[in-house]
Amino acid sequence: MSARPRRVVLIVEDGTEYRDAFRRLSSEGAAVDWLHAPDAAAARRLLAERQVDAVFVDVVFDRTPEEALVGDREALAARYSGDRGRALAYLASHQGFYVAAALAPAIPPGVPVLLAYDFTGDPARLAAIRESIPALEGVEEGASASRLVDRLLGKS
Amino acid sequence: MILEAVLAASLLVRVPAQEGVVAPDVPVAGECAADPAMLTAEARALLADAGAAPETATLRRARDLVRRARKAAPGAGLDLEAADLAFAAGDDEEGADLLAAAAERDPTRLSPPELLLLARRADSRRRWRDAIARYRDLGRALERGGEAADWVPARVRELELEARADAIAPPSAGPSVEARLALADGKRALAAGRLQEARERLRSALDLAPEYTEALLALGAVETRARRPAAAIRAYRGALAAEPERIEALTALANLLWEEPDRRTKEESLRLLDRAAALRPDLRTLLRVSASRWAEFGDAPKALERLDRFLEHASPGERADAAALRDALSRRVRGAAEEPTPSAATAEEPASSLAVPEGPAAAAVDRWRKAQVYLERGGADADEEALRLLEEAERIDPAFAGAPELAASIHLRHERWREAEDALRRSIRLDPSRVANHEQLARLLDRSPDRSVEALDAWRKAEAAGSTEALILLARAAEHAGSPREALRLYRRYENEAPAGPGADEAAAAVRRLEAGERQTVLVVCAASALVLLAALWLVWRRRAGLTFAEWLARDPGKAQEARPVVGRLRHEVLKHGGMLLSDSASRLEESDAETRRATAQLLSTRLYGESGARGLLAEADAAIAQLTALARESGVRLNLRHRDPVFSWLLRGLAVLRGARRSLRRVADHPTRLRDAAFARRLLRRAAACFAVSSGPELSRTVERAAVLPVRADALRALLAGVAEERDTPAPVLELIDGLAEGALPGVCISALDWETVWRNLFGNALDEARRRGGSIRLGLCAERRRDPVTGEARLRLVLADDLEGGIDSARIRERGAERGLGVIVELLRKSDGSVEVVPAPRSGYTKGIAVDLPASEETA
Repeated sequence: MSARPRRVVLIVEDGTEYRDAFRRLSSEGAAVDWLHAPDAAAARRLLAERQVDAVFVDVVFDRTPEEALVGDREALAARYSGDRGRALAYLASHQGFYVAAALAPAIPPGVPVLLAYDFTGDPARLAAIRESIPALEGVEEGASASRLVDRLLGKS
Repeated sequence: MILEAVLAASLLVRVPAQEGVVAPDVPVAGECAADPAMLTAEARALLADAGAAPETATLRRARDLVRRARKAAPGAGLDLEAADLAFAAGDDEEGADLLAAAAERDPTRLSPPELLLLARRADSRRRWRDAIARYRDLGRALERGGEAADWVPARVRELELEARADAIAPPSAGPSVEARLALADGKRALAAGRLQEARERLRSALDLAPEYTEALLALGAVETRARRPAAAIRAYRGALAAEPERIEALTALANLLWEEPDRRTKEESLRLLDRAAALRPDLRTLLRVSASRWAEFGDAPKALERLDRFLEHASPGERADAAALRDALSRRVRGAAEEPTPSAATAEEPASSLAVPEGPAAAAVDRWRKAQVYLERGGADADEEALRLLEEAERIDPAFAGAPELAASIHLRHERWREAEDALRRSIRLDPSRVANHEQLARLLDRSPDRSVEALDAWRKAEAAGSTEALILLARAAEHAGSPREALRLYRRYENEAPAGPGADEAAAAVRRLEAGERQTVLVVCAASALVLLAALWLVWRRRAGLTFAEWLARDPGKAQEARPVVGRLRHEVLKHGGMLLSDSASRLEESDAETRRATAQLLSTRLYGESGARGLLAEADAAIAQLTALARESGVRLNLRHRDPVFSWLLRGLAVLRGARRSLRRVADHPTRLRDAAFARRLLRRAAACFAVSSGPELSRTVERAAVLPVRADALRALLAGVAEERDTPAPVLELIDGLAEGALPGVCISALDWETVWRNLFGNALDEARRRGGSIRLGLCAERRRDPVTGEARLRLVLADDLEGGIDSARIRERGAERGLGVIVELLRKSDGSVEVVPAPRSGYTKGIAVDLPASEETA
């Protein structure tokens, strides 16, 4: 009887808070290989190297260097009447959406993608995003680390 | 027995009188009324004829003749003959009277039995002085006859004791209940300042018990306060007569008499004061007052002597105060060294005028009186004899309070404290109304520091009995015990009840001091109360005043755009991360593995409190709250998130709980085996998690959205266009709705109403101005497009204002020359609301171009 292979989860966040919390606070945390990427480029590399069972993406990347942020800066600047500063701030505070969009082509079908955003108040928004990232799911605000890990591992 | 035998044998044997007035051989001469000798001779003749047993008639006749002779020529001889006849006639009473008369004239004519008869008769009739005189005569007669007379002096001493005892007034019985009630009423009226009523009640008490010392003292106080010194003096004299050693009466009377103008009265005052000082050496101020008054009176030696006695135990301050007086007195004494010094004042006891009371049994009172005589005599034997008599008196009449009271005074003099205390307690038990006994007992108990509680209790009982001295003592004790209010009450009572008492000055000073303290206390209490009230009001104001987050944004929706990212950060950092951490952490802290607990505590410490250099959850939350508060303040609004806001209050409560968990978590991180800390931290984490769970992040965002979203209504834009045209005196063009844009089908946009109006006012104004400049009309159309950001999914609304003017503005000009024609304002206002403006192709035929306004939109149709 062969041992069950360890699950692999990719976490994309600008710090290590989620990874640490999942690893230390969840009872399943120790049984998972947690891959960590601080930005979209690193995540893409990891996805290219490893097969993952789930992807978790933080939303706010305000500690990420500007050049590492993904997203159409020009289009955003135009939306903000040419205000590049506001555009960049928006990009950082919503980087998770852009990362998820950027990683979507590299994520195999069926691999869940959890975005650390609560869509409870606006389901239409989630539906709009799912048109391009069907596997995307939001997380309810206040969910515990265990609950999130369970969701990443498909336990609930 | 011998005396009685002699008496019986000799009574009727009368030796013929040997006096010159009536000769024994005078012949009987019938009825010779004028001549005593003839009368006597006739009587003798009658008796001689009658023989050894004369008849009654003969005897009567003879007695009548002798009586007439005695009337004509009184003398001891005829008295004796008449006595013999009276005895012979069986009239012993007259016989003895006649013997007594003879003894008064010439006791040497009487025989020892006759003298003994007279002495015994006077003895039995308690005519002590007569008895003493007769016994002394008897002694001399016996000595003259060579008989033994050594027993006579002892008997005389006994009779002298009886005589002196008789002169002593018996103790009065205690006042009746009615008298005590009247006194209590009087004192109450006095304390209330109702002097007339007090006087009436006290007089009622004195009608019932004229010697009632307490009533007399209280009446003295009433009259003193009523400025009726004569009446006050009368009352105090009465009190002093009833209790000669009553200190209050002595001092009060001394003070009142001192105010009188005549010198004799002042002298009496000084003597009373000295008596008080002698009785109560512990009241040292009496000596000081006495010294001053003697000095004023002009008797420097006496003044100096009293002052020196005062200074023996004086404090440095008292010495300094008295220094000038002493110098002056010394000079006067030296200067008048040759002058005769008046003799020292002697205390004169006023004679008691009390009648024999009916209460105590006479025999007991008798012994009490004799005891008094012994005490007056003085000496150890006399005291012991007095005590013996008093013991007898107590045994005879156990209800006689005077006996133990007097015994107590003897024991006190001999410093037999235990016996004195027992006697005083017995006396108090028998007559609780005697103030002096209560005071004496209290003073006795005061001697022992370890019995101070008992002493205080005794003073309380003395106070209940009416002691004014007790008032002072209790007032001091109350002040010492930190009860200034009680002390003030007692000092005031003393001032009322003993305005001229020995403690009057002390009481007055204490009242002034305590009243000042009380005023200060009242001020402090008032100030403290006011502060507490202000603090309470401030707290209430803090809880009640201020706006909630929703109220603020409803009042100033323009701030919603600025509040939105702050709320987003708060949700992300606190509610999302906090929720993720807390409940799981609490569970991990329950686990038995110490390393797990340590790692969990470390993780939490870092994430919550920002240790290891990172900014923690609490700091993020505080910064966000501070930012919201500052934004609200810019609107002139004070936020009350802690007490009034239904969402933020839970969030803040959760943050406060987390602050409280910091120390415990730190301890667990350092010492994971400290299970109590782990348990405490676990409880707090769960409590904080519960608070965060109640604090709804989506609700916060909805609040922001509600404030930020403005409904887009085509009819409102048409009305605005009409208004702008009217301002320019231009006909308003029709605003055509393009592509089936339906009224009411548009979502709201996130912009303030004022900015929205300004944007459209400028857009309409520019179009109308351009049309007029070109000298023609203008066609305007409006179309809308709901869009979503393809990446973030955010809703946006693009409204396009189409016109039919050729050329004109384009997007590059808007960006480059934005200030022209108000376009710069439009750009700026839209930028502020995360929006934009650009020139786009005409949305349909008949128009030449469109100006598109792009803004974030609400998810729902407004």
